[in-house]
Amino acid sequence: MGGSVAQTTAEPTAAVLVAALGLPFLGALVVPLLYRALGERVAYVAAAIALACFGLVASQYGTQGTVTVPWIPELDVALVLYLDGLSLLIALLASGIGVLIFTYSGSYMHGESGIARYYATLLAFMGSMLGVALASDLISLFVFWELTSITSFGLIGHYREEASSLYAARKSMLITVSGGLFMLVGFLLLRYVSGEALASATYTLVGTPDSMIANADAMRVALQDAGLFLPVLGLIAIGAGAKSAQVPLHLWLPNAMEAPTPVSAFLHSATMVKAGVYLVGRMRPLLVGEEWMLLFGTLGLLTMTVTALLAIGASDIKELLAYSTASHLGLITAGFGFANQLGAETGVFHILNHALFKATLFLVAGIVAHEAGTRAIDELSGLRHDLPLVAVITAIAALGMAGLPPFNGFYSKELLFEAAYEVAHTDGGLLWLFPIVAVVGSVFTFLYSIRFLWLFMGEKPAGLGEVHSPPALLVAPPAILAALAAVVGIDPQLAVDTIVQSAFGSAVAGEAHTMSVHLPTELKPAVLMSAITIAVGIVASPFYDRIRDAVRRASRGPLSANWYYDGAVDGLERASALSLPRVQTGYFRTYAAWTLAATSLLALAGYLAAGVSLPAFTGLSVALPVVIVLAVAVVGAAAVGIAPSHVAGVLTLSILGFMIALFYVLSNAPDLALTQLAVETLVLVLFLLVLDKLPAYYGDAPLSRTLRDGALAAGVGVTVFVTVLVATAASPNDVIAEFLVERAPVPKEHGPVLLDSGGGGNIVNVILVDFRAFDTMGEISVVAMAALSVLTLIAMRGRGESS
Amino acid sequence: MSTPDRDTDVTVIAKTVTRVVFPLILLTAIALLLRGHNLPGGGFIAGVLTAAAFALLYVIFGLDFVGSDLLDRGGTPTVAAGPAIVAEYRLAFAAGLGLAVTGGIAAIALGFPFLTQAVLFLYDLPIYHELELASAFVFDLGVYLVVVGALLTILAVVGAE
Repeated sequence: MGGSVAQTTAEPTAAVLVAALGLPFLGALVVPLLYRALGERVAYVAAAIALACFGLVASQYGTQGTVTVPWIPELDVALVLYLDGLSLLIALLASGIGVLIFTYSGSYMHGESGIARYYATLLAFMGSMLGVALASDLISLFVFWELTSITSFGLIGHYREEASSLYAARKSMLITVSGGLFMLVGFLLLRYVSGEALASATYTLVGTPDSMIANADAMRVALQDAGLFLPVLGLIAIGAGAKSAQVPLHLWLPNAMEAPTPVSAFLHSATMVKAGVYLVGRMRPLLVGEEWMLLFGTLGLLTMTVTALLAIGASDIKELLAYSTASHLGLITAGFGFANQLGAETGVFHILNHALFKATLFLVAGIVAHEAGTRAIDELSGLRHDLPLVAVITAIAALGMAGLPPFNGFYSKELLFEAAYEVAHTDGGLLWLFPIVAVVGSVFTFLYSIRFLWLFMGEKPAGLGEVHSPPALLVAPPAILAALAAVVGIDPQLAVDTIVQSAFGSAVAGEAHTMSVHLPTELKPAVLMSAITIAVGIVASPFYDRIRDAVRRASRGPLSANWYYDGAVDGLERASALSLPRVQTGYFRTYAAWTLAATSLLALAGYLAAGVSLPAFTGLSVALPVVIVLAVAVVGAAAVGIAPSHVAGVLTLSILGFMIALFYVLSNAPDLALTQLAVETLVLVLFLLVLDKLPAYYGDAPLSRTLRDGALAAGVGVTVFVTVLVATAASPNDVIAEFLVERAPVPKEHGPVLLDSGGGGNIVNVILVDFRAFDTMGEISVVAMAALSVLTLIAMRGRGESS
Repeated sequence: MSTPDRDTDVTVIAKTVTRVVFPLILLTAIALLLRGHNLPGGGFIAGVLTAAAFALLYVIFGLDFVGSDLLDRGGTPTVAAGPAIVAEYRLAFAAGLGLAVTGGIAAIALGFPFLTQAVLFLYDLPIYHELELASAFVFDLGVYLVVVGALLTILAVVGAE
């Protein structure tokens, strides 16, 4: 990809990557079994699995490339994994923080219910996240992406008895999964366009010479030619925005704190939400440009500022952290959004920094809630007396979050300022809003970070009871993370050289320059912006409570995002409750009418949308007998409509059926004719058998219903007519019929055993039982199943009535 | 159909004709099945025709007759347990499905892909001189059994209703 990345030419090992991806899922299967033997100690098994994943991924450090594991070689289907700096960073964060989360959970989740389910889901979740990071093609990326949504649904809804927990789980699922579906449409459009831009259409995003990113320029030109650039950009932004909680789709994130705290720490720092920014970073070399910058720069900075304000308005420490997560994701998105290299530097560096300090703070919040017994911000302060070590940990992380030098968040925020300034300086005009909004957002960030730190400062309020000291296993994970954050803060260049530089290379189109990060030694615009941020922050902090109250007042009613979500969901529920009595009446005719109408409409709309043209009419060339037979069939069909009784209706319907059999005879299809005759006879007999029990005469149907049914029947007829015309007009180049005509009969010269030919005179039957025997097999299975279901349904109904 | 007073509706002519026609239809069905590989016919048509023959029996003689007299079974069919005769039909389609699958697996056992069919020619036989044996016939027989079994199950259950 360029820069120093190009020097690392070693390829990753296929077995190692597959093992790293497969282990968590395998673990998810094994953990429930192990739970019976080990009980809660199964947490450490899960931690060991995460550690193994971390080790496996880390062992591939310095490699870059694609590994292919054949899956269905005949169909050229393979599992393709891609590893480069960016995926390595995400994979290391997911598995590394995973180790700490599992260890922490071992103490934190003590005595909780559903332990086996918890660890199994958490492992599967970690595996899905590794899959997102390692996927090389769009389809597997999408599959793992939605897997993270589904597994997080289980995790957020862990406390199944609590309504708020279920509400939160449903909300996150609804938003992230539907966002993912938008993204899928974007992916499909990308594949469609890749057919124009590349040698052949591909789903491969990255890693091979004919992947989309390797041909980014051609892809961009093709996208613009097709007028699909903005739609694709928008669809991918919706997917990434929903996952990464960007405004206005951020509303699921604060509710997600209903999850057990270790889950929140994992979801909000290293995984789930990082999938969205990962996608933005991954797509960046493919789509970056003017439109990209306007979209993601605006979206990111808006999110950063709005959610930072909401964090100030929070009353619960986890809620504060959740909004702050959305805010920092906004920062990362904005960074990736800026179309210069500094922007990419911001994005990747802040991914690392945010994961380190946010996981720490969530784990600290868990300790505070566990030991002090409350999460309300107003009730907590002065905790440093009881929790001195935790106070130090918090100070390192919170000051990093505030962006104060020399803590880790400072450097990536500084890069954001530089990037925003450079953009504004180059293009001018309205783009000066970028650096201004970045500073405003950072002031709010500074304010709530200090507020979180204040939990440990000041005096202990009288209302706060005894605060226990936490067990070592609860403190060790955040301590390790804080230590790492401190190292990044003291020597950022070390972190850059180790991992950020190569990840940076993945997010840049073209050559990436060498990153150099250190404490500023001269007065640059970015330094000035940082100084303003801190100064304004300090001046504003005495007014924190007023700002908080203002935010709370403003975010009520129609201005709160929840208002829209709840309104939309309620509206949907009411609409479906209204439509239910119209669609599900329990009458067969209602179901048939809806199904037929929907199918016809969809099919016709599909033809219209695809611009299918009907074949030209070339004049009638039909023999007289066929005309007569079809005319009788039409008369029979018309007679069905006006038949006075069931029996008459069935009999006239069979006129139609038998005429069609005759038509087959005239068209030289004796097999079809035979089948039609036999089936028609059987159906007639069956009908007569059943009709015996029904009243002899029809009731009077209202005229409106007759008209409606007539219109429906006409619509279905038109659909079938058009479908037959369109289907028969299409003539493929390689005619399958020729293949079958050649191979079905006995060849002239043949030995005693025939294998490659059907050896039968009746092509239809040879196709059924030889060439397409597998199809027939499926069909007879369906017939058998139909018989079984008739048996079961009627037997069950009888039982239901008798009891 | 199965109520005794309905039996008086059926004329002697109908009953007699059915007695004659029923074996003829079955014979035709079997002929269709056997010659399906080279001439119009095959397992599906033969199956539908066989089912039609039984349907005729049901219409003319009633459900009980097929159950008790023809197959020597006592008792009136009840819906809750499924008509007693349904067990045989179920066996038929289960056996048919099994036969079709086994035929396919046999190909695997011989080292060919699933459901590969072969044709074997036998020469110098007495009377026939030359006989063509298609392994596809096994599959066709499976199709036949499934169709007969399934259709008759539906017929019997719906008829008993």
